[in-house]
Amino acid sequence: MEFQPILAAMSRNKIGAVLIGVQIAITLAILVNGLFIIQQRVALSHRATGLDEPNVFTIRNQWVGNPTNMEAKLRTDLSVLRSLPGVIDATASNSAPLSNGGSSEGVNLDPDQQQATALTAVYFMDDHALNALGVKLIAGRNFTPDEVTPKIGFDDRHPPSAIIMSKALADKVFPAGDALGKSVYLAFQKTRVPIVGIVDRLQVPWTGVDDWGSKFNDNATLEPFQFESPLVHYVVRTKPGQIVNVMKAAEKALLATDRLRILEQIQTQSESRLEAYRDDHGLVVILGIVCAALIAVTAFGIVGLTSYWVAQRRRQIGIRRALGATKNAIVRYFQTENLMIAVAGALAGVALALVVNVWMMNSFAAQRLNVAYVLVGAVLVLLLGQAAVLWPALKAASIPPALATRGSM
Amino acid sequence: MFNYYLGLAVRSLRRNVVLTVLMIAAVGVGIGASMTTLTVFRAMDADPIPQKSSQLYTVQLDNWGPKRRGLGTGDAENLQPQISYQDAMAFMHAHQGVRQSAMYLTGLALIPSNVDLKPEQVITRAAYTDFFGMFQTPFLFGGAWTGEDDENHASVVVLSRELNNKVFGGRNSVGKTLNLDGRDYRITGVLNDWNPLPKFYDLNNDKYEKSAQIYIPFTRAIDGQMASWGNYNCNGDTGPAGWEGHLRSECVWLQFWLELPTRADAERFRHYLDGYAAEQRQNGRFDWSARTRLRDVREWLVYQNAVSQEARILVLVSFSFLLVCLINAMGLMLAKIMGRSADIGVRRALGANRAAIFGQCLMEAGVIGVAGGILGLLLTALGLIGLRSLVSEGVARLTHFNLSDITIAVVLSIAATLLAGLYPTWRAAQVQPAWQLKTQ
Amino acid sequence: MLKMTHLSKAYRTEVVETYALRDFSIHVREAEFVAVTGPSGSGKTTFLTIAGLLEEFSGGEYMLDGANVRGLNDNQRSRLRNEKIGFIFQAFNLIGDLNVQDNIDVPLRYRGFNGAERKRRIQDALARVGLSARSRHYPAELSGGQQQRVAIARALAGSPRLLLADEPTGNLDTQMARGVMDLLEELHRDGATIVMVTHDPELAGRAQREVHIVDGQVVDLAAQPRLVTPQSAQAQN
Repeated sequence: MEFQPILAAMSRNKIGAVLIGVQIAITLAILVNGLFIIQQRVALSHRATGLDEPNVFTIRNQWVGNPTNMEAKLRTDLSVLRSLPGVIDATASNSAPLSNGGSSEGVNLDPDQQQATALTAVYFMDDHALNALGVKLIAGRNFTPDEVTPKIGFDDRHPPSAIIMSKALADKVFPAGDALGKSVYLAFQKTRVPIVGIVDRLQVPWTGVDDWGSKFNDNATLEPFQFESPLVHYVVRTKPGQIVNVMKAAEKALLATDRLRILEQIQTQSESRLEAYRDDHGLVVILGIVCAALIAVTAFGIVGLTSYWVAQRRRQIGIRRALGATKNAIVRYFQTENLMIAVAGALAGVALALVVNVWMMNSFAAQRLNVAYVLVGAVLVLLLGQAAVLWPALKAASIPPALATRGSM
Repeated sequence: MFNYYLGLAVRSLRRNVVLTVLMIAAVGVGIGASMTTLTVFRAMDADPIPQKSSQLYTVQLDNWGPKRRGLGTGDAENLQPQISYQDAMAFMHAHQGVRQSAMYLTGLALIPSNVDLKPEQVITRAAYTDFFGMFQTPFLFGGAWTGEDDENHASVVVLSRELNNKVFGGRNSVGKTLNLDGRDYRITGVLNDWNPLPKFYDLNNDKYEKSAQIYIPFTRAIDGQMASWGNYNCNGDTGPAGWEGHLRSECVWLQFWLELPTRADAERFRHYLDGYAAEQRQNGRFDWSARTRLRDVREWLVYQNAVSQEARILVLVSFSFLLVCLINAMGLMLAKIMGRSADIGVRRALGANRAAIFGQCLMEAGVIGVAGGILGLLLTALGLIGLRSLVSEGVARLTHFNLSDITIAVVLSIAATLLAGLYPTWRAAQVQPAWQLKTQ
Repeated sequence: MLKMTHLSKAYRTEVVETYALRDFSIHVREAEFVAVTGPSGSGKTTFLTIAGLLEEFSGGEYMLDGANVRGLNDNQRSRLRNEKIGFIFQAFNLIGDLNVQDNIDVPLRYRGFNGAERKRRIQDALARVGLSARSRHYPAELSGGQQQRVAIARALAGSPRLLLADEPTGNLDTQMARGVMDLLEELHRDGATIVMVTHDPELAGRAQREVHIVDGQVVDLAAQPRLVTPQSAQAQN
């Protein structure tokens, strides 16, 4: 195709070409970054917690008044929950994955260490934890009942007798992969705590992309405590398919043992997940809509401006047709013209996309843009341009050669 | 001439309905998208207490020292967003501000007098009486408890309007009692609607959450050993176990606000803070010179990133989108105006000067801007409704359109469209007075 | 009324400078009907654009209605065009968006007349060209001859001192052309000053006087062989 005459024609219509080019550039920059963010947030909101998610639900239990003998209350509740038909196991905890509230501690190798080797979320649970969570133990063993000690609220700071940690944390603290059987110091205490087990995966309770816990999302530790606090989370795992019935039964049974309590957030892990990632999901949907609208607006813009050029060059096109240009040649002319503008716009757009990405990396610690996204985005806008120009180009091709012989329009 | 241009603009726009619809749609969609996100952004960035934001200060103190850098929620300077009980008490007793209050979030169980009803959880804020005066909370009935109540660790309570509606059917409940966790609290006042967003005085959990349902004296909450329901961060330097140990620890879990009416007052308090930190070093509590920070409401909101990352991304994206829409509208306007260059040439020949052509074309852009603005407003309303169903409860609370947002939308639409119309209009004014119709 | 002396107009490109008018002098008196003729490219259209203040000229003098127009800015020239000159174009140049009365209204608006004045003038002008019944029609609904009469009404409505016509019948068939010419003659009889550019000798013959342009200069007609038709001879009387 002859680029030279097209370029010459464009230079007479610079501003129009520039407008389309700029639109394509910005569209590409937004599209690439938008799709990248969408992909990241989708991945984020699908991160596995490590739990047997479809069969686990949680209950937030708040004792009313100033409860005495919390130990007995807790024991009763747990035995009630564990004896419900359909329940595999249940445990009490200070927190649970996806609950967006919990505790964290520093993990140290040296009691006098100033900076923590790693940060970890801590779950205070008894020896039923592994079974109730449905996490996969990949090395070592479960807690023994003897290892479980009462912990009277957060102010009780006695160290755990043993811990089970997630593989990610174990590998962080012991990069050689020999964490099992080793000891660590927790929360700057002076007592060595042995690692008795390692689970495949266990997530921190926090889910926000820029939350406190996002820096150590996969570092979690189970500490063998019977957590005796006015506010506890019960984690219950059911047999497949029975979760709905068990949830109802559990609420009823707990209230039957003691009415002076408030049961809240009785929800499956899937429900907790929806709630935890609601804003991420919202962002994905809105970005998706904006990207779609952007594509539409840019396409209509190209159709509009090209139609105008066609209208403006009707006579010229008629003359070309009279001089022997085929319909295909006319269509190709406009397609080539659009391709040239779109390529220039896409090049600028790639640069702009990278600039936006660097800015986002600086201001929100966003990740580096994947080159594949840039390339896919660039191809996408080129195709968009070609698709949008097709209709006006076909209209141009249908201009009769006879037009050349008439005076004006 | 305004009416004449207006008439011409409408006539011209009606002539090419497809192009006009495309232009208005481009502007409207762009305005709708950007106003939807801007509304939320503005709400996040809003000054929650404009009349006093420069007189209210919160305090930070480096009570963890350099050896605990990077732990907990500390910033680069190792300053925690909250303070410890002992520091809060010291500041309360120093009584340096016109008003001051330590405070924290907790929860109580409301036990209904009707034993058939289930107890209910109520979000509680423990604070001093100055909380109400300092933040100018509006009262529907009664008022704050007294300073004496604070000193006496009295069982008194201020209710939110919402809870008063629920428990007392909206009637004046002052003087009545409320059973909270088994203890009777006397009601001293009922607040009118009061929900500053962002919830500047405690941004630790949900920045946009509702204010508490009830308020009780801080001293009572401490007596009742009511645990914090907000953030609670410890540096591992453990004191004795139990509640007493908790109060004596370096754990940070309290917010502290004070009212300093003038710059000089703030300077004086900064001076006091530095002195306090030095004193703590002298008496051996710190072995470092502890930094202190005093920030007013606006500074605090910026420091705490009251505007979420999502909101920033969306504002950036939607304004880029608006830019694309405007470039688009500009291209279409250019096409439209240049398509009419013959008519413009005739008008010039008939005596229209450049200003007249300019005015006529700009009016056309203005009409598109107004129509786009109206469409944009409708889309913004729809967008906010859609947004509300998509985001968390806290953010949803920010999706309300107020008069200033409407004004911004219309002004933005007209201004942006006029700006986009400027180049096409300028081109139109450059059209030479025609003698003959020149085709191409 | 219109007096050009030693006027020149040059078009510059990067390479050459071509003179469309060179040492061009013409004098049209009040109430005269002058035809300007000449072959294609002779410069007659350039003459008309300059006479109509649509373009500036390079050298010489141009007095319009006793005032020197040299060096006037765009606004001043727009004002003069609006007040003193009425244009009649070959292609009518009616604005398609506007109906007949709104087309006539265009120069009156720029003149700044009030509503009542504009209405009166529009009605007068329409009555003059015999199209009062068509005031709400759009140009596309009219015949070529009617459109040109609307254009003439538009030119007349502002009571200009000078009417400039460019091949006013060029786009019309013979019968319609005759009607338009009759109208122009009638206007002339009523005292209008008309300068008409044409290459049609028959039309030129109906003017009072003919000025012939060749290569950008006025040529003495006496020195040129001329075909005089009985009609045009008659018209000159």
